[in-house]
Amino acid sequence: MRTPHWVVPALVVLFAVLGIGGARLIAIPSVVREFAPAGSGPLRTTLLVVDGVKCVDTAERAANQFKEVPGVVRLVAYASRNRVEVTFRPGVTDVTKIKDAIEGPVYDESSKAYLFGVYRVVEVDGVEVQR
Amino acid sequence: MVAAAAAVGIRFAMGWTLTSVEKYCPFGGLETAYALIARKRFTCAAGELNLALFMALIALTLLARKAFCGWACPLGAVFEWTARLSRRVFKREAFQGLWIIPPKVDAALKIVLRSIVTALILAATWTTGELVFRGYDPYYILFSAHGHDVRNWSYGILGALLLLGVLVPLSWCKYLCPLGAVLWPFSAAGRLRLERSEDHCTGCGSCDRACPQALDVSEALGVRSGECTLCLECTAACPAPGALDLRWKGVAP
Repeated sequence: MRTPHWVVPALVVLFAVLGIGGARLIAIPSVVREFAPAGSGPLRTTLLVVDGVKCVDTAERAANQFKEVPGVVRLVAYASRNRVEVTFRPGVTDVTKIKDAIEGPVYDESSKAYLFGVYRVVEVDGVEVQR
Repeated sequence: MVAAAAAVGIRFAMGWTLTSVEKYCPFGGLETAYALIARKRFTCAAGELNLALFMALIALTLLARKAFCGWACPLGAVFEWTARLSRRVFKREAFQGLWIIPPKVDAALKIVLRSIVTALILAATWTTGELVFRGYDPYYILFSAHGHDVRNWSYGILGALLLLGVLVPLSWCKYLCPLGAVLWPFSAAGRLRLERSEDHCTGCGSCDRACPQALDVSEALGVRSGECTLCLECTAACPAPGALDLRWKGVAP
């Protein structure tokens, strides 16, 4: 069947839109870390968009930031979306402490030194963080 | 489309969003597929977008051959510009560059070199779980604005590839691009193709000279090659109306 030439670029645009749109349907965590048993009692999950969480390694290092934070139960990071979901006990910790923990100095194994400004929280539960 | 790609590239490179240009590389989808199947996690910075774009690209290629390479790939656009520069510099009528590569050598290089590059990249990525070839990847070097893993020697590699692109037009796309190698079998089975009508064709060879991939468009009744990007330069150059048409394979006229 004879086909007009505009069909070729139209197909390219169509499949680019399908690809970009389709990515929104897939959500596979880069890192899942359990810090404490969920147990009983209320839990809350906060959603952070973090500048610096961009691959599996940086997501792992971001998860390490919560090792010493009491009240943090679980962390799920989606590196490709710079997204970190932190589940915590509201009575023990809060969103401000969680934000401070992730933005705190990061210990670097290779240089045996603390690095500052590695992570920056851009958004908390859909609200942009004002600096 | 080239302008759109450049604008998007600059937008991400300037850091206006947190998304890196490498997340828009469909080849990253293939690189991360193994890790996803074996370890249920992505490879390094590759993610959902790479995977979805790769799947969409395979579907597109099964319909419209390597249309992605001809119409959307920003690196393809850059190497097409070097190919046009080459034609001017060496005063060639066709995209031949400094040396005229015999068809058999050209075909062998396409298979051997691209297979080696693809195998090396996939093996290294799958075993290390890292995108270890970032510093050598011309797409990443060019569009990431000195991104992670780009070193000073990376620009030397980019410069050498661009120079090679002038000496041998589309050398990256034809002989080195791993995505091109992966797409080739799907492209060869593509449903949309160029067909030549012997009744209308005058045999002037304009189509052969216009083809950036240096395919022999005038030699057969249809372009069957998996290298055809459906760029339609041949139809634009053809002086005989109705001699070259775009048709769906297997669909009656």
